[in-house]
Order: sequence, then structure tokens, then C-alpha cells
Amino acid sequence: MIPTFIGITALVFTILQVVPGGPFEQELLRFKMASMASSEGGAGGGGSGVGMVEIPEEALQKLKEYYGLDKPAYMRYFIWLKKIVQLDLGKSYKYSEPVWDLITERVHISAYFGIISFLLSYLICIPLGIFKAIKHGSKFDKVSSAIVFVGYSIPGFIFGAVLLVYLGGGSFWDVFPLGEFRSEDYEYFTFWGKIQDQLHHTVLPVMAYMVGAFASTTVLMKNSLLENLSQDYVRTAFAKGLSEKRVIFFHAVRNSLIPLATGIGGLLGIWLAGSYLIERVFNIDGIGMLSFNSIINRDYPVTLGFLVVATIIRLLGNLISDICYAAVDPRIRFK
Amino acid sequence: MIFKKRTNSESIFHKRIRKFKGMKRGYYSFIILVSLYLLSFLNPLFINNKALIVKYNNDYFFPVTKYHASTTFNQKGYGEADYRKLEEEFKKDGSNNWVLMPFYPYHPNESLLAEIEGEPPHAPSSLHWLGTDNRARDVFARMIYGFNISISFALIVTIVAYIIGVSIGAILGFFGGRVDMFGQRFIEIFASIPFLYMVIIISSVLSPSFWLLVTIMSCFNWVGMTYYIRGEFYKEKSKDYVSAAISMGANNQRIMFKHILPNALTPIITFAPFALIGNISTLVSLDFLGFGLAAPTASWGEIVKQGISDIRYWWLILSPMGASFTTLLLISFIGEGVREAFDPKVHSRLR
Repeated sequence: MIPTFIGITALVFTILQVVPGGPFEQELLRFKMASMASSEGGAGGGGSGVGMVEIPEEALQKLKEYYGLDKPAYMRYFIWLKKIVQLDLGKSYKYSEPVWDLITERVHISAYFGIISFLLSYLICIPLGIFKAIKHGSKFDKVSSAIVFVGYSIPGFIFGAVLLVYLGGGSFWDVFPLGEFRSEDYEYFTFWGKIQDQLHHTVLPVMAYMVGAFASTTVLMKNSLLENLSQDYVRTAFAKGLSEKRVIFFHAVRNSLIPLATGIGGLLGIWLAGSYLIERVFNIDGIGMLSFNSIINRDYPVTLGFLVVATIIRLLGNLISDICYAAVDPRIRFK
Repeated sequence: MIFKKRTNSESIFHKRIRKFKGMKRGYYSFIILVSLYLLSFLNPLFINNKALIVKYNNDYFFPVTKYHASTTFNQKGYGEADYRKLEEEFKKDGSNNWVLMPFYPYHPNESLLAEIEGEPPHAPSSLHWLGTDNRARDVFARMIYGFNISISFALIVTIVAYIIGVSIGAILGFFGGRVDMFGQRFIEIFASIPFLYMVIIISSVLSPSFWLLVTIMSCFNWVGMTYYIRGEFYKEKSKDYVSAAISMGANNQRIMFKHILPNALTPIITFAPFALIGNISTLVSLDFLGFGLAAPTASWGEIVKQGISDIRYWWLILSPMGASFTTLLLISFIGEGVREAFDPKVHSRLR
């Protein structure tokens, strides 16, 4: 895992160094603009050509030193890596606050939606998948398959936007708020008022998060159980006279949960992947929104910091998946 | 070479194609989608603000293919002739001049600000079926042109990413050993990068053209296929026909791509429709975030972006939703059929 982490950070670092108009060039440009403005002020609009202004050699040197560009690339990479390991992701240009604080301040908002939608989709999809597999080929199976297909064909954020159109009080019904994590005067609500307000703001985003995962999880569960039901051990279980319930729920279902265990690592991935889009649709100030705005504002420390954090989270997710895999499937052992 | 013309037994591939044709939902979706896509290359003939044929003073003009200044038809104004107005003018003056306009006479990039009353976006009407967007461009025309662009884009990205993914997967699976181990670590790196975020960062810096965006997307999109191809190659390379090819002196490249690859096509074919869905969704997402294709390109995501800024303009959300939903649903029906035909799992049930 650690070599992978080093590899990823190296790749990210290289890409951002190579890409023209990256962090350093941006800063250089900003510096040029600033010195241009000051020199124009001093000389009374003497040299107005953009290309005329040259950065003084020593200032450039200082700037390079500041960004560590006077050192060779691999040294810069290690300095950067050392800072990351110490959780020093730099300071945001825009908020002039440490990036780490900006991210931790918002993590709970994104995690809230991520965890709820993940739990809900597993709670609904696993029983639904089991039921569909048992009733394979029935009317219920066909109708629910059609619904699953429809869900699969709508990108989550567009579904969220459609929900807003119909239920968010545009030209149709005004049932749910337009978005955001909580109401502005949340602090002053009573306890029940708070819970109500929070739930009110949760329904639509969670539906948007769930629509994609819903389809794939249900189909995965159904197919996996169907496959297990045609195995020899199920036949044996039936042959020795076990009841159908026992065979399905104690023997087959446990084995068919194995592929779903992989998805548990996705718990961490869900609110990363969908969060740029859905948080933007619902105007939720979570980490997706933060990272998206950082790209728009060219706030590179935040962009980079989020990239690093997101990558670490994904790696952790993989690890968790593996652990769950081993927990569900006794045949897998780590050496 | 001797056996080249021997076709008396039906190959597995043909059997599978036949099975796919038997699956009505998937097969009809396939026919509908392919014909719509091919038809969409003729969009300028159906949805355009340039006339198909103009008869003017006993001369015939074909403005779709050639630029004609407004002065050619003695029309007021500068630049290219306004054919919709020209049609009205000809009708009024009673001469035997005429204009044949396309079926839906609006261009996706054309601002209709001067023609429609009120502030854009305009609600749907009998003239503009899905209304206009915030620059008074016709939404229906943009949806239809966006269909062609979305599918073309997704197809190209899928093909390029597959070429990279299949080659790398093939190399790992065929050579195995140390190559495989290092390759796996390398792939792990690519697989752990947040794909969409990386594409957004790069395209925010480069503001890419169509082909550059294809390149960026393909660079981060090939990973999924390597796992399957690698597995297939591991399985196939121990079979007798590979030993036969080696003993006949075929080189590695020939064995990999001429002998093994045709036997390892199943994952490529079964995953292609779903990769296509993924790429279309990504393009819509990128356009929605504002980091997709360059500005005047007709795209679905950009309209959603406009719609979300004020949800009273419901047609700006429902039209792209309808367009992308229909397209993706057709493709997922195709995918379902293809998977059923190429990767059959017979579920025998007890009782």
C-alpha cells in the first residue's frame, strides 16, 4: 500500500509539474501582474506593453526558492511528500487557512450523505436482490428489473436536478428545500425541529446518491444468489432435507454476499465520486464543493490537498474491502 | 491457409450473434440506436438554419453546402443570408422563387434573440419544441446535435481506452512473472486516482478541444479492461493451440494478437456497452461542471448546468434528462442482450 501511495503521489506531482499553466506558472503570472501594476503606478503609465515587464532576476530567484523550484524535481517531490505525511497540505490562497482544516471542517457533511445513502441502498438492495432471485422470472422480477434499468440509465446528478424541478418549488410542487445541508436558522430550532429540518434536507440528495448504486447492487445481489442456488452444495442441502428457508438464507445468501463485500470499501468512495456533482446540484458545502470551487478559483493548495486526501481515502477503502472480504468468506486468508 | 474457405460449421461467435438477434429487446435497441446514430450524421439536412434548396430568378442554390451572402438574394443585411426570412419574403412577393427549408429550421448554435419576444430562456412552444436556453439557442436542436457528439465522443474514448487496456492486459497476462507484478502495481496507481477529479483538474488548466479531451479521458480510463484481459490471457496461454503456435515458430506478438486475442474477446464485447454508458455519463458530468467540450459545442450537460441555476426553467433540465435517459436506456438494453448472448450463465434451479 505504501509503494502504491508513493507511486500515486509521484504521478500526481509529475502531472502537475508538466501541465502548462500549473501552480508555479500561475503564481508567476500573478507576480507579473502585481509588479506590472506597481511599476505602472510608479512610472505614470510609462511602459504599458504586457511583454515589456520583466521580473527582476532576484525576485524570480526568491519566488523559485519560495516554491522550492531552485531544487531538482525529485528533491521537490520529497519535500512535498514529507509535508503531506505531516498533514501539512499548505494554506489556501482564497481562505488563507490551512487546507487540512478546510477539509476536516467539511468532511462530516459529505460523509453524512455518503453513509446514509450507502446504508439505505444496502438495506433495500440486498433484500430486493434476494427476493428477485427467489422469484426469478416472475412478474415482480420483470417489473422491478425494468425499474432497475431505468434507474441505471439516469446519471445521479441529473436525477437530483429533476427531483429539484418537481419537488423543490420551481414550477411544480414545493415539498423539499432547494438544497444545502441545513436551514440557515438551524441553530434556533427546537430539538425536534432540528431533526425535522435535517431530514427535510436529506431526502433529495440521498435519493440522487442512491439511484446509480441502487441498480448495480440489486443486480449484483440477484445474480450472485442465482449462481449460488445452482451450485452443488445447495442441492446437497436440499437433499438432506433442509427447509427452503434454511437453504436459501443460511447457506446460499451468505456465500452470495461475498461480491457485495467489495462494495463496502465503496462506502468511502461514494461520496468522493458523486460528491462534486451532487453537492453542486444541491448546493451542499461539503468537500466535493470545496474541491470543485478550488479548481474554479485556481486555489491549488486545496486542489492538491483534496487530491491527496481522496487518494488516501480510496486506498483505505480498498483495504477495508479486503478485510470485509475475508470476514465474509472464510476461505480467504491473508498471508 | 488451406482451411481458409472451410465454413461448414458455425463458429461460436456466429452462434452468439444469432442468440443476440433472438433477444428482441436488446436487438431492437441495437437497431434503433445504430440507425439513429447514423441518421444523426445527416443532422444538417434536417435541423439547420440554412435552406436545402433556394430557387431564385431561375437559378438553383444549395446553401447547406455553400455559403451565400445575403446580397445574392437581394436581401437586406450583412453576412450570410437569413433563409427563414427569405422564405417569408418570397411567399409575400408572389414571385415563383421559393425556399426549401430543413424540417426543423433552427441551428443549435444560432441565437434567436431577435426573433422571439421576451427574455431568454423561452419556454417550449410550437415553433421551438423544447424552448430555448439562456442564450436563446434552440434546445431541441442542441439536444439532437448533442446526441451525435455524445455518442461519437464516448465511442472514440471507449475504443482508445480499450486499445490501451487490452494491450497492457495482454502483456501482463502473457508474460506473467516479474512483468506482471510490476505492471499490477503500476495499474494499482492508476486505479486509485480519483478519475473524474483528475480529468477536471487537467481540463481546467488546458481547456481542451474534442481530441485533447478524448486523450485525457482515455489516459485515465483504460484500467478496468486490463484485469479481464489479463485473466483471459492467463487462462488461454496454457492451452494446446498456443503451444502449437509456439512450436510452429510464431513470435510473441503474433501469438498474442492473432491467436489468443480472438479467444479473449468475450470481456471486451460484453463490457463495451457499459463502458459506453460510463463515458457518456462522464461527458455529461464534465459539461455540467463546465470542464467538458469547448463552448459552442451542443452538449447535454451544459443545458443541465443552465437549468440548475434556476429550476423554474424546467425544460432546461427535463430535455437533457430525457435525451440522456433514452440514449443510456437503449445502450443498457443492448448491454443486457450482449451479456446474455456472450456470457451465458445458465441458472438451473432446484425444484
